Amino acid sequence: MYIFTCRPDYDSMLTCIYEAWASKKGHKNIKLCLEPIEQYTLFDEYIHIEPDEKKAERVSQSVWHKISPRVYSEMGYALLSFEEDALDIVYRVLILGFHFGRDVLDMIQYREIARFREIRKLVSREVHSFREFLRFYKVEEKVYVAHFEPRSRVLMPVASYFSDRMPSEHWMIIDDIHKEAIVHPKDETCYLRILSDEEAEALSHTEQEDFYTRLWRNYFHTMGIRQRENRACQKNHFPLWMRKHVTEFREVYE
Amino acid sequence: MSDYNFKSDWIVFKSMYTLRTEMTTEEKLEILADAAKYDVACTSSGVDRKGKKGALGNCSAAGICHTFASDGRCISLLKILMTNHCIFDCKYCINRKSNDIPRAVFTPKEICEVTIEFYKRNYIEGLFLSSGIVKSPSHTMELMCQVLYQLRTEYKFNGYIHIKAIPGVPDELIAKAGYLADRVSINMEFAAEESLKKFAPNKNFKTILNPMEKISDTIALHRLAVGKDARMERSIGNRYLENSIFNVKKLEEQGMGGKQLPANVIKGDLRRSFAPAGQSTQMIIGAGEESDYELLQTTQQLYQQYDLKRVFYSAYVPLNEDASLPAIGTPVPLLREHRLYQADWLLRYYGFQADELLTHEKPDFNPQLDPKCDWALRHLNIFPVEIMTASFDVLLRVPGIGPTSAKRIMQSRRYGSLDFMHLKKMGVVLKRAHYFITCGGKMMYKIPIEEQYITKELTVVNRKENWEIVHRNQYQQMSLFDDYALG
Repeated sequence: MYIFTCRPDYDSMLTCIYEAWASKKGHKNIKLCLEPIEQYTLFDEYIHIEPDEKKAERVSQSVWHKISPRVYSEMGYALLSFEEDALDIVYRVLILGFHFGRDVLDMIQYREIARFREIRKLVSREVHSFREFLRFYKVEEKVYVAHFEPRSRVLMPVASYFSDRMPSEHWMIIDDIHKEAIVHPKDETCYLRILSDEEAEALSHTEQEDFYTRLWRNYFHTMGIRQRENRACQKNHFPLWMRKHVTEFREVYE
Repeated sequence: MSDYNFKSDWIVFKSMYTLRTEMTTEEKLEILADAAKYDVACTSSGVDRKGKKGALGNCSAAGICHTFASDGRCISLLKILMTNHCIFDCKYCINRKSNDIPRAVFTPKEICEVTIEFYKRNYIEGLFLSSGIVKSPSHTMELMCQVLYQLRTEYKFNGYIHIKAIPGVPDELIAKAGYLADRVSINMEFAAEESLKKFAPNKNFKTILNPMEKISDTIALHRLAVGKDARMERSIGNRYLENSIFNVKKLEEQGMGGKQLPANVIKGDLRRSFAPAGQSTQMIIGAGEESDYELLQTTQQLYQQYDLKRVFYSAYVPLNEDASLPAIGTPVPLLREHRLYQADWLLRYYGFQADELLTHEKPDFNPQLDPKCDWALRHLNIFPVEIMTASFDVLLRVPGIGPTSAKRIMQSRRYGSLDFMHLKKMGVVLKRAHYFITCGGKMMYKIPIEEQYITKELTVVNRKENWEIVHRNQYQQMSLFDDYALG
């Protein structure tokens, strides 16, 4: 078995798909994996792939033109996933896609397609959840800063939603896991910034209490009807792992 | 000193007291949120609107819940009353005139500022404004419209606003509210007129249904003006369901009343569509005498006649001492509410009609089985259906198959045969569905298609869920802090 590995950014992943395909070792003998690899196996050969813009572009072009724009955009979302097999599944789906054409994603009978749709669904759910559960804190009276810790790399889709929601505010969304931030100056387009350790450290103390956080927490606790209490339902809708930076669930010591 | 004097002195003292103490926003919010929380509708859905530069906010038709309270209900809007002072004396309501509870009033500025700041921090999706009635219904409605006007113009708020219209106000005010808000709702409260008379002596059906009709016609007019269909958007599946309650052909025959609300009620250049997210209403479950059949029939009529976007049910939480109402401490009829919502979904997404689910002879839902299983068991003659050939509307009638999995089945069966494992992957709930379907001519297990047998089996499947809904809050650890407020 040949295992192609690459770093988890978009260009690297597409290049990896390209190289795996071009290696002509037979689809059955190939596996694609994201770095870092936790546990190496003894009898497999590992091939690291460096990103190459041109090759990535060629993969994008052929998926768009030879399969369909829909598959292209779905692939983009699936590649954001944190699931270990995401890259490999995308590769398998592309094999089927080049064979069957644009309706490939409806063929749920194939195990790979079913799994692909599952991965895609997890990513879009996570995007949606963070649209709901992201919490901004006001810093220095004008900038709104939000921290979150997503499993998948959903910073971009989440931020694009907020640039529509608050176009005329200064704000910033920080992904603490992948150490990335989107900065949005008032009335301008936002940009991505990879955070260095010092920057991440400097930005880690933005979650300050003020009048409105207290007001909100108070409001939140008032809204629950005691006679109907249902913590299980609350947990289903608002999983514990998402609560870390959420104002109403943070424990405050005053 | 006579009793009378003492009482009037007390009132004077109390009013002086409320005048003198300046409540903080925090205290007011606590009182007015607490008073509003029994209102059920908290959806931010029904309208898609892009954000624009210089303004704050957008809307998403799917709705966005921002958090979930300890009772598991979503909080997506800042749900408050403008004031909980009220001249009405509805027996079921916590804010009725005869209750001695702390009262508060928000100023428009406070409401606007809290909404804007909460919105910027992504706590909420917009504002849900309701109110107790001060002086007169018109006066109250006027004040509420002022708040919305300020929020839309001065604060440039472009997010979602849901306003509760008060029965018995002039058309101009309802129109104003509709142009400023995204969704307007008027509470039905009860499905039968006698109950409304008994429990809410100051309200009557005429003042509720009349504006409802006018709002619905005005919305239709506005939709036609921008090139949309006169009726609200519904789940796409309804297009393929002949039996759907939203079937347009049948409705067109009824014709529209053509009772519009006045236009040009808002000064300035604020141009907005009239209530783009439609209107909704709510009914109380368990206070009046209505049967489930009556409630469901009313619901269907509201959807068809007034094109309501949603009808909400609110299980009555006993708050007031009153001989005609369930006593304080009576368990909240959560299972009944749950069944009604299940049936409501069957009407809106599955192409069922109210009289298919319930009849005069059997006016209440079976507490042991959900309405769809119950229906399927009464129609075993059409089952089992073959997954590979059944039509969309028949698939939707199988318990355990919903709109999403039905759509997936329709898509994928064009490319190859399906087996039970595939169905499971697609999200079909096999523990319910397997009694009613075949894949490639075979059922999943060898079972008799017999009403008694399947009923017994399905009751076992449903038992745990039902028990949890009914007994959720009956047994709990006693706590000095919660139960006796010693904390």
